[in-house]
Amino acid sequence: MSVSTHPTPQPGTEEYEPVFVGKTLEQLSEILTRYPTRQAALLPALWLVQEARGWISDRNMAEVGEVLGLTPAYVKGVVTFYTMYHQHPVGRHFVQVCTTSPCNICGAEAVVKALLDATGAKELGATSPDGKWTVIEVECLGACGFATPVLVNDDFIESVTPDKVAELVKRYK
Amino acid sequence: MPDELVNLTIDGVPLSVPKGTLVIEAAKQAGVLVPHYCYHPGLPVAGLCRMCLVDIEKAPKLQIACATQVAEGMVVRTQSPQAKSGRMGVLELLLINHPLDCPICDQAGECELQDFTFQEGRPATRYSPDYAKRFNPVEDFGPDVLYVPNRCILCTRCVRFMEDVAKEPVLNVSERGDRAYIGIHSEGRLDHPWAGNVVDLCPVGSLLSKDFLHKARAWELDKAASICTGCSQGCNVTLDTRENVVVRVRPRSNLQVNRYFICDHGRMNYRWMNRGDRIEAPLVRRGSELHVTDWDEAFDVVASRLRGAGGKAVALVSPKVSTEALYFARELFRGLEWSGAFQVVMGEEAPLAGVPNLALRAERAPNGRGAELLGYSRDYAAALAAAETASVVLLLDEPDIAVRTAGALIYVGTMLPERARDAQAVLPIANVAEEEGTFVNRDGRVQRYFQAKSAPGMARPAWWVFSELVATLGGSSGHVGTAAEAFDRLAASVDGFRGLSYAQLGFAGAVAPAAGVPA
Amino acid sequence: MGYPHKPHAKETVLLSKHFGEADARTYKGWVKRGGYEMLAQALTMEPVRVIDVVKESGLRGRGGAGFPTGLKWSFMPKEKKKPHYLCVNADESEPGTFKDREIMRWTPHALLEGSAIAAHAIQAEVVYIYIRGEFTEPWAVMERALAEATAAGVFGAIKIHLHRGAGAYICGEETALMNSIEGKRGNPRIKPPFPAAAGVFGMPTTINNVETLAAVPLILKKGAAWYKGLSLASPKSTGTKLFSVCGHVQKPGNYEVTMGFPLKDLLYDLCGGIPPGRTLKACIPGGSSVPILNREETESCLLDYEGVVEKGSMLGSGGVIVFDDSTDMVYQIMRLARFYAHESCAQCTQCREGTAWTTKILERILSGQGKTADLDLLLDLADNMTGKTICVLSDSCAAPVVSGIKKFKQEFEDYIAGRRKPVMVA
Repeated sequence: MSVSTHPTPQPGTEEYEPVFVGKTLEQLSEILTRYPTRQAALLPALWLVQEARGWISDRNMAEVGEVLGLTPAYVKGVVTFYTMYHQHPVGRHFVQVCTTSPCNICGAEAVVKALLDATGAKELGATSPDGKWTVIEVECLGACGFATPVLVNDDFIESVTPDKVAELVKRYK
Repeated sequence: MPDELVNLTIDGVPLSVPKGTLVIEAAKQAGVLVPHYCYHPGLPVAGLCRMCLVDIEKAPKLQIACATQVAEGMVVRTQSPQAKSGRMGVLELLLINHPLDCPICDQAGECELQDFTFQEGRPATRYSPDYAKRFNPVEDFGPDVLYVPNRCILCTRCVRFMEDVAKEPVLNVSERGDRAYIGIHSEGRLDHPWAGNVVDLCPVGSLLSKDFLHKARAWELDKAASICTGCSQGCNVTLDTRENVVVRVRPRSNLQVNRYFICDHGRMNYRWMNRGDRIEAPLVRRGSELHVTDWDEAFDVVASRLRGAGGKAVALVSPKVSTEALYFARELFRGLEWSGAFQVVMGEEAPLAGVPNLALRAERAPNGRGAELLGYSRDYAAALAAAETASVVLLLDEPDIAVRTAGALIYVGTMLPERARDAQAVLPIANVAEEEGTFVNRDGRVQRYFQAKSAPGMARPAWWVFSELVATLGGSSGHVGTAAEAFDRLAASVDGFRGLSYAQLGFAGAVAPAAGVPA
Repeated sequence: MGYPHKPHAKETVLLSKHFGEADARTYKGWVKRGGYEMLAQALTMEPVRVIDVVKESGLRGRGGAGFPTGLKWSFMPKEKKKPHYLCVNADESEPGTFKDREIMRWTPHALLEGSAIAAHAIQAEVVYIYIRGEFTEPWAVMERALAEATAAGVFGAIKIHLHRGAGAYICGEETALMNSIEGKRGNPRIKPPFPAAAGVFGMPTTINNVETLAAVPLILKKGAAWYKGLSLASPKSTGTKLFSVCGHVQKPGNYEVTMGFPLKDLLYDLCGGIPPGRTLKACIPGGSSVPILNREETESCLLDYEGVVEKGSMLGSGGVIVFDDSTDMVYQIMRLARFYAHESCAQCTQCREGTAWTTKILERILSGQGKTADLDLLLDLADNMTGKTICVLSDSCAAPVVSGIKKFKQEFEDYIAGRRKPVMVA
């Protein structure tokens, strides 16, 4: 039986920079007033981390846990449930393309292919060599009448077709 | 004020159970075990494995027995074609990604997936070899626990135990859908003092004890009910033995003491029961050396020492010895100026937060309370001092005590320590796994433990040794033949135990009337 | 950002009246259009009176279940002993559905006003609007609108908060939504207890869909009788519904029609029909979780709760997915199964394993390695996945599989028999 062992915690080689300081901490404090429990601020807190750092590391999860009174394992269980939280760094522009049936029958897969080529990412989930792009397929984005919708970070772009891809990609530096 | 009773029928058996009872519990009273995985009486209800599907008349769909409360006039059928088909469906789906590991899996023989599949599963698979099974490597969760994700059926008993009973959510369910597995944060380890229970709770061979890994097959094990000797909580355990060697300790349920759990300290605390360096025959001093002899001569020698002695007798006893033994050891010194004492190794207390009155106790011995009730003192220093000028000193299974005495030293124990070589006589006794007896826990509950393996050589239960000595000395009561008799004699003469009988103790024990907190 | 179409003559434009008007998204703009008058009125009414009006109107949940809204509100404790909550389900993730998005990004105040009225009716002090994480634009619009309206003081003592989801379809299930708000994995809960007894934070809670709440101010304004009168077929289905039409139609989009409207007219008239040279093959009338209708059923179906049931499907969320004859039904059913497999929360055995196995079988069929026994196996699996789990995601995966095999069996058999070229690699 091959066994993978969890790395025994070692003192960090780099100093850990907490996320919840200054303005971010203020934002979290305000969010905490909206709920009767600290735990309920977990999803908003994770969004704050992702906005600040681009992704959520194990160490970030531990910090969120400390701030909200939850164990790191608990936070991790929540992070891994929700697919919009990144657990590793992604390209500067994170592209989500819907390929569920309503968009699928309107050519969504061709849009995916076009994006993978145009961005240089080549493979789903991979980051392009210049670090600018990651492209993934996602499930229904709730814009089925405007096939194919594409999310580039927070930009929700409707009615993307393969011929519009080159122009779309050019818009992002 | 009795609970309001509800009348219902399960598989044709009419029942009357308290309101609020779950159908799955009520079924037990009808002699029906509804197959289940995620349900456990010691954990909050999850209702997610869907294994306990039963047919309830007037309900449009199958219901899960673990989350349905009884209702007046309810008619439950666990064996209807619909219910069986539903459960067969669950089993099939559990097996599609489950590896055919039975030949190498520790759980085989005590595996609930095997059991229920045999009982009502599909005879052949419709999945393999057409589709590859999900694969994840084995994970080391910490001190004693291994996690084999491939075998996991995601019942979440382990997650719920750590979250709701241990109150330390160190396990999670990670990911979603059929990618889900039990996860642990990279900075986390499963080192909670009660974490080992997840191995018992796991219905399959997914969470494994490293200590027990590949050690024995479940069907090779003999099982005996016992009481943990790790501390004064008195958790009920089962000792699993294979060919006269204790190989595993598991919790035995006792709702009054430890519910369904034991701590890791107790769980790992069994190797000493198998030690080979035991005294295997009575020894008596002839000249400057100890010589092997038989029990008759040993008793004669000790009795003669005791008859001749006047003055003080001091008994230094171990709080790990049975109540019966402690009683007869005291009887031995009737007529003498007697003082008896014991001392207990102390450690850090480790409660199981989600269960009231359950912890690994600071007092690391099972029978301190029993010793107290029999008049033994905790003032060990005074006893040691008294021993120096005593005419007889009995040292009972305490190998590490440095006793200095001008009088006769009688050592009764399991192992022969260096200093016992000064003794006039050394009498070999059985350890907790090799005899029947009782301990009194910190709450005054008198609990029986049963014999799990045979004692080495000529070693005998300590209560027998002392009661024989008492008989040899001409004590009024005569020979004691069984552990039951031993206890009943004790209960008849000691105030703290009056009214208890051995038969009444059963497997759950009883609180000694004057002794303690009613549980 | 796409603009909605100009209303078609056959639409009954109520909820969508101000779609496309940028000004309607501002507080002032909404007030100019008569907004918040009904909230002010409702706040002077006894909560139980507001419930009565909504009950009388026949309004039913527009998220998919179609449960009578007034009745749901009446489940809340009349005597207030604990905090009450209203949760607004803006997690719109049902494939084929995109109406709540339009309501939020064009008429955010309609939703806010309806939510506040509902909160008053159920005596809730706090409202959480759960918006799926991907709806970045609706979020921004709602945030601005909420800030403006709150500043204007229209909500009184009622506090409304937005809560952002993070990518989980299952959080549209009401108990999973509550768990998600509480900061947990979005696992549905076993019922009982029901939300009105113990919901979010263990307190009495009502969960309503965006479209349902957006209709409430109108009902209060024009009266229950008026709303009840908006019914073309079954009297049990009243009011208007935004139908999200997508797929193989000329003019996809959201169309608001009165309950009982013929599906045929919606597709061929309002939506301009199927693309030229193609014919209608199949239609899913209520979001991907309901059974597929064939052409004949589609063209004779009336769009209300009872009418669609009559055809063997459900109105659901009103997400109308149209498939023309160029569609590979087997492939699309596989793609839907894959959707459910991706979204399963992993609690129930049948769903966790069944959705994935169903997907695998369909993929094999599409890769040319299917067997005849596979169809019976799929149906047997679907039976195991129906009516036996905590929530209906499992049933939802089974629905297109069962209806697909029943009505398009030939397509499956063509792949299995090798008459059709494989389109996937095993």
